[in-house]
Amino acid sequence: MPADPKMKIMVVDDMSTMRRIVKNVLKQLGFTNIEEAENGKEALEKLKGEPYGFVVSDWNMPVMTGIDMLRAIRADEALKQIPVLMVTAEAQKENIIEAVQAGVSNYIVKPFTAEALQDKMAKIFK
Amino acid sequence: MDKESQDLYRKVVEVSRFINSTVQKVSDMESPVAGTLGNLPQVSAQLSDLTRLTEDGTHQVMGLTEQIQDGRIEVTKLLDQLAGLVTQAKLDPSALDRIAAIKQTLSVDDKRLLDIMTALSFQDLVGQRVKKILVVLEDVQRRLLEMIVVFGQKPEGEKRVEDKRAGQMLKELQASRTTALKQDLVDNILGEYGFN
Repeated sequence: MPADPKMKIMVVDDMSTMRRIVKNVLKQLGFTNIEEAENGKEALEKLKGEPYGFVVSDWNMPVMTGIDMLRAIRADEALKQIPVLMVTAEAQKENIIEAVQAGVSNYIVKPFTAEALQDKMAKIFK
Repeated sequence: MDKESQDLYRKVVEVSRFINSTVQKVSDMESPVAGTLGNLPQVSAQLSDLTRLTEDGTHQVMGLTEQIQDGRIEVTKLLDQLAGLVTQAKLDPSALDRIAAIKQTLSVDDKRLLDIMTALSFQDLVGQRVKKILVVLEDVQRRLLEMIVVFGQKPEGEKRVEDKRAGQMLKELQASRTTALKQDLVDNILGEYGFN
């Protein structure tokens, strides 16, 4: 099913510049309903508060990492269906395998392009 | 004094000289090590400032880029209105072609603006590496401090945790230079797990 442009999207990254970049690219792709969180814990609290259609998350963050947040999402009955795209500088083979095993929907390595994000979203919401 | 005792005495003197010499060397090192130790917090602060400066600069460029993007949305709307007026007034149809050409140029530049935005993700990568370097520096600082107080009384458990964290940061910094995968290789691995 194609992505609903009105769906609420959560962008999780401890770096404000990265959140702004991802938000800007999403906006250019037609998605404007975007929330932000600085770490996995803050994101989880927001995700439990209202319905979200998509999560874009960094891996390496303080308080709660992206991979721990992903595991928490997949373990939560109410959240486990939400697609989670990992956008991270952690680009070792074991990182990718760990993310796949944790239930990631797709994986982008930084630095990334707008086309890469568009391509991955198309694959997730096909 | 018998020969055995003389040998023993000579060895004790040698050991004593060695200990004296070592104590002197450690003592000579104390001042430069203390100086280095005193500089490390400043080095850490400078590195943190570097991250903040690149962050501020990046936000400034992003703000300006976003303003240009917003301006172009308005220009595109105005061009659409202009095309409507040209059609209504039954003016030279080539005017519509020219408006379309302008919109095409705008579209190409929009892509370039988006590329500028994503290129700014360098700041995130710089910030992450600086954070890891700061952890390593904290570890070096702690070790130097321990040297000065000659193996201080810090709890062993805490030391091991910090050693492990700094070691992990160094490992990750090295890995980011050597074994980090590009997107196409990541996609190959994802493909092996059924991601198309």
